[in-house]
Amino acid sequence: MGIRDTDRTLPSNRMVFELRRDPAAYAEFKRDLEASMARYGLTDEEKRAWREVDLSTLARLGVHPYFLPQVSRLFKGGGYNHNDSEAARLYAEKMHIAGGAR
Amino acid sequence: MARLIASVGIAHAPGVTGWIDKAPRHEQDAVLAGYAEFHRRMKELKPDVVIGVANDHLLNFPMENIPDFCVGIGDDWEGPAPWFRDWLNVPDYKVSGHRALGRALVRESARAGINHAFAEQLLFDDNWSVPLKFLFPEYGVKFVPIHMNCIVPPMPAAERCLEVGRQIARIVRDFPGDERVVLMATGGLSHDPGGPDYFTVHEDFDRWFMGLMESGDLDRVRREVTFDKLLTGGDGGAAELLAWLVAMGAAAEHGQPRGENVFYVPSVPMRCGMGGSYWSLS
Repeated sequence: MGIRDTDRTLPSNRMVFELRRDPAAYAEFKRDLEASMARYGLTDEEKRAWREVDLSTLARLGVHPYFLPQVSRLFKGGGYNHNDSEAARLYAEKMHIAGGAR
Repeated sequence: MARLIASVGIAHAPGVTGWIDKAPRHEQDAVLAGYAEFHRRMKELKPDVVIGVANDHLLNFPMENIPDFCVGIGDDWEGPAPWFRDWLNVPDYKVSGHRALGRALVRESARAGINHAFAEQLLFDDNWSVPLKFLFPEYGVKFVPIHMNCIVPPMPAAERCLEVGRQIARIVRDFPGDERVVLMATGGLSHDPGGPDYFTVHEDFDRWFMGLMESGDLDRVRREVTFDKLLTGGDGGAAELLAWLVAMGAAAEHGQPRGENVFYVPSVPMRCGMGGSYWSLS
């Protein structure tokens, strides 16, 4: 999977794009994931992946790779995002790659 | 007439401001020394205007409409965008724009057959927040941001990036005014946000690319900097180096395509090959 496999039309790509730009939309996402997913018209398959933070499935469905670590930050926060941070570890775990912590 | 006095290509990894303390001391020192050297040169040059060229990290261009290049023509800019504040750990900043030059870049590029989008407002993330903090910590310059697409295929080819750089140099040269202008391209080097190489740096790739900058050989650039080659430096990140080709093209227009490699530090804790090249045009 890589940038060439992006499905630009996938609703999840729209959702991540908006959540990072609109603080109100992000607040709703943190409060009520289901409402956010309904608002952006995610398919059932996408919704299942989001509920489980299943990043490798989101990648397979066509979420842009650049968004994947950002999804982990949407759930775990973006501050102090070093390789051993919760967000980075979640990303590594869900993508089944070795982490970068030393 | 305005004058382009230098071209810069430099990395902007968020780790530098966000979590540099997690890198070994020698890496921290080398990266900060590299940025400090660029800062020293900028203080010496005292540019009036900085034209920035960098990847838009899927922040301003929605998936349904992604231009190759978009010139910011607004009067004022600020950053970092809210969602990036805690990630970047860069204090809020404001920097003035340069509407007349931004408009000239759009208008005159169109006359030369180059179709740039333009925007009054743009959100800033690591692309500008990191290099501005290090190179222009007073935020006293006028700033014209050019956001480009280095991330969603198809991206502009190497030749087009060189040509866009050449055109920027011509437009600055013909711009009525006495502004001293620096072109600051920022992105790269090897990194792969969201891909299998997220925790990997490709030193060989980085040295190949910086060697190209140093060679000043535009034919080699056209031949070697292919889309497929860029992917080998990190699928989702290394293509940000297309911005450096804009800087190189502008320098080539001044007859000085050979860059000087100022620093290079491969850093896994920063998840990025960190480096900078410099073209003196004054």
